[in-house]
Amino acid sequence: MSTRRSFLKQSALATSAWLIPGFLKAFDGKPMPAGEKRLVVIQLSGGNDGLNTVVPYRNDVYYQVRPQLGLPASSVIKVHDELGFHPALEKLARLYHQGELAVLNNVGYPNPDRSHFRSMDIWHTAADSSEYLSTGWLGRFLDARCHDCAAGHLAIEVDDVLTLALKGERQKGMALRNPKRLHDTLQAPLFQELAAIDAHGEEPSVSYLYKTLAQTVSSAEYIYSQTGKVASGAEYPATDFAGRLKTIAQLIHSGIDTRVYYASLSGFDTHVRQLNEHERLLKVFAEAVDALVTDLKKHGVFDDTLILVFSEFGRRVAQNASAGTDHGTANNLFLIGSHLRQQGFVNGTPDLKQLEQGDLIHTLDFRSVYATVLDRWLQADADRILGKSFARLDLV
Amino acid sequence: MAPQHFFYRAGFGVAPGTNTSLAVRETLAQSAMNKPIAVVEPVDAEGLRLRGMSPDERKQMLQKSRKTVLQLNQAWLAQMANDATCLREKMTLFWHDHFACRTLFAPLAQKQNNTLRHHALGSFRQLLQAIAKDPAMLQFLNNQQNRKDSPNENFAREVMELFTLGRGHYTEEDVKEAARAFTGWAFNPMTTDFLFRTRQHDDGVKTFRGQRGRWGGEDIVDMLLEDKQTARFVVGKIWKSFVSDQPPEPEIAEALAADFFRWDYDIARLMESLYTSSWFYENRFRASRIKTPVELLAGILVQTGGRFQEEVAPLFIQRALGQVLFYPPNVGGWPQGPEWIDSSSLTFRLSLPSLLFSERETDFQAKDDGDANNLTNGFRGKNLALAVDWKKWADVFTKQSTAKTLEAISAVLLARPLFASQTARALRFVETARTDEEVVRQSYLALMSLPEYQLC
Repeated sequence: MSTRRSFLKQSALATSAWLIPGFLKAFDGKPMPAGEKRLVVIQLSGGNDGLNTVVPYRNDVYYQVRPQLGLPASSVIKVHDELGFHPALEKLARLYHQGELAVLNNVGYPNPDRSHFRSMDIWHTAADSSEYLSTGWLGRFLDARCHDCAAGHLAIEVDDVLTLALKGERQKGMALRNPKRLHDTLQAPLFQELAAIDAHGEEPSVSYLYKTLAQTVSSAEYIYSQTGKVASGAEYPATDFAGRLKTIAQLIHSGIDTRVYYASLSGFDTHVRQLNEHERLLKVFAEAVDALVTDLKKHGVFDDTLILVFSEFGRRVAQNASAGTDHGTANNLFLIGSHLRQQGFVNGTPDLKQLEQGDLIHTLDFRSVYATVLDRWLQADADRILGKSFARLDLV
Repeated sequence: MAPQHFFYRAGFGVAPGTNTSLAVRETLAQSAMNKPIAVVEPVDAEGLRLRGMSPDERKQMLQKSRKTVLQLNQAWLAQMANDATCLREKMTLFWHDHFACRTLFAPLAQKQNNTLRHHALGSFRQLLQAIAKDPAMLQFLNNQQNRKDSPNENFAREVMELFTLGRGHYTEEDVKEAARAFTGWAFNPMTTDFLFRTRQHDDGVKTFRGQRGRWGGEDIVDMLLEDKQTARFVVGKIWKSFVSDQPPEPEIAEALAADFFRWDYDIARLMESLYTSSWFYENRFRASRIKTPVELLAGILVQTGGRFQEEVAPLFIQRALGQVLFYPPNVGGWPQGPEWIDSSSLTFRLSLPSLLFSERETDFQAKDDGDANNLTNGFRGKNLALAVDWKKWADVFTKQSTAKTLEAISAVLLARPLFASQTARALRFVETARTDEEVVRQSYLALMSLPEYQLC
């Protein structure tokens, strides 16, 4: 069993920092083979307050330490004896009742880090808490797909900036806000001319840049040529985040063979005056996801889609002096799909009495979730991608 | 081309018409100029209290900090673009990445920056001793702790893993023992001065890397420097930032490390050795690095002498490209080389000149890093226009043909000559210019939009 580090060493060419594939050939995209599964990852940035999302409305401790922030039991959407949803998550509760939602509680990792960038890095790279990796788990998924191919479009992030999660050693996913916009940008004569230049005989540094550009242009062309074909037709809320999920839906409907989609919703770092802001964000989140699921069902592609929702950490059990919460540790994680092998609250409730320095203790390592998704859903070599073997869960 | 190569590495590039005939040693002597940044008021009587602030107080504090974050960023960038200070600033930037650290408090950010600047070309020993006691660093690493009873184990680990030896050259026992030596290290929140809390210090005997004694933090630092591996590790980092994105060549790197060690970690001497060695100017080390976002931005400012019309524009560009001064992503520092490049960052870099030199606006949205306390998350940019005195540069190239002007500007902007078809293409674009100033502007636009401009 190779360690992550030796995996990375082996997969990088020993002599070159540039990792240029042999020959730059014209991109040939294929439609998604039937039955191949796709993953949609939704990142809630800032550290979503899990305890006010999935609420332990029967737990005295919760109300004792959250005199202002504790959500009144009467307002909580009760779906279970111990746990309920924040009132803004009506749409999510519906998915729960339809058996299309699995909630994993207490998800985290050993020696949790409470700094945003560090913890987000850990979730992006699937590293140990004390390890610094420069590639992301989904980037390494792309690396494992093929050595020399142009695999960038197989992972698309709806954003202008590519997240570390999608950066591999050799392959990197594509970041775009919408296919038309990217296409239009790259139609400029500058890009068209540069993309046509064959620079693979030049110095590695130059060659790498021209290769990346050529692949960008041809991927963008492919994506745009596909997405023009099918209109979404579905209704989405008028929020920026819902717009991104709509773009994902359009890409899925186009039939391109992208396996992974990624989108972020930011603003969860609620140190101060949490109640209103958190409610607003959860509503944006739930309504957008609901629109996406409805849309996917309408086009018959929901069965092949799994949605994973995570945040880089939860927040402290007790509220702080500013009507907010501070950085915590373990949190809940959602999986949304039509054929989940386990549904609802899969692994117990958060223990608010056994805390470490006021924070929840994780009982499930997030990398087990990654391993399960990589192995069972995406049919990829999870152990190699994650550098270690993590227990699989019976979820998908 | 050789002077251009030197200036792209020791500094951020050169402006047209700069006298590059001075010998390297004379030029390096200019880096003695040390101009501390002084835009933030020293800590006031309230000190750095954060806990227990009311929501309104906190809001006010954050608003004030937002302004100073912008000011710090502008001030440092301005010094990078300035002939007199750029050499030392390049070195300071390197150490800022090496000792990557973030703080919420502008006075601490400024203080650390000036500490890095002060020692940037001095002794790495003194630099490390100073940074180990720097309040921003102490606070940053305290915040990353997970266990109250071993307050500095993280710092001890990071000192070894990231600042001196590198992974795999120390044991967990070393980390534990070093952590004991660093206990009691704190700072006075009112003055930001280092404070040694005797009662919190474990002054028992520690065994660190085979040596027994009542070691304190300073002793640990000295012992780490006694190991040649530290010299090797630091030289490895210097290589990546100043020589090439390709891995170090063993013979050259070993020789440099041996010298660095023998010279008791004299940074200026190491850099001078680099810049006066003939191997440094060989072809394989030219245009062998992808510019980091700050190098790209500072280089543009140096080469155009331009000023942004909107003061948030340079901060937005840093955000868009993923490198914001004073906000490294984590204590491991910023990415390297090809890691900066993906489909969207490359597209943005190549589009940047047309956004700077024309009236186009951008709707690019930089990513929020999730941290409500990271005030740079709020800086948006639409107008990235750079006001440039094109006439000034046109005067440098008077009485030359368009082709010769393009060639001369190419020698200033690019780290390697273009291949012939590229030159022909650029010339076709430039020849549509009607005035001398337009010739210069179109040359800049044509050349800076090429992938080759991303290299130094």
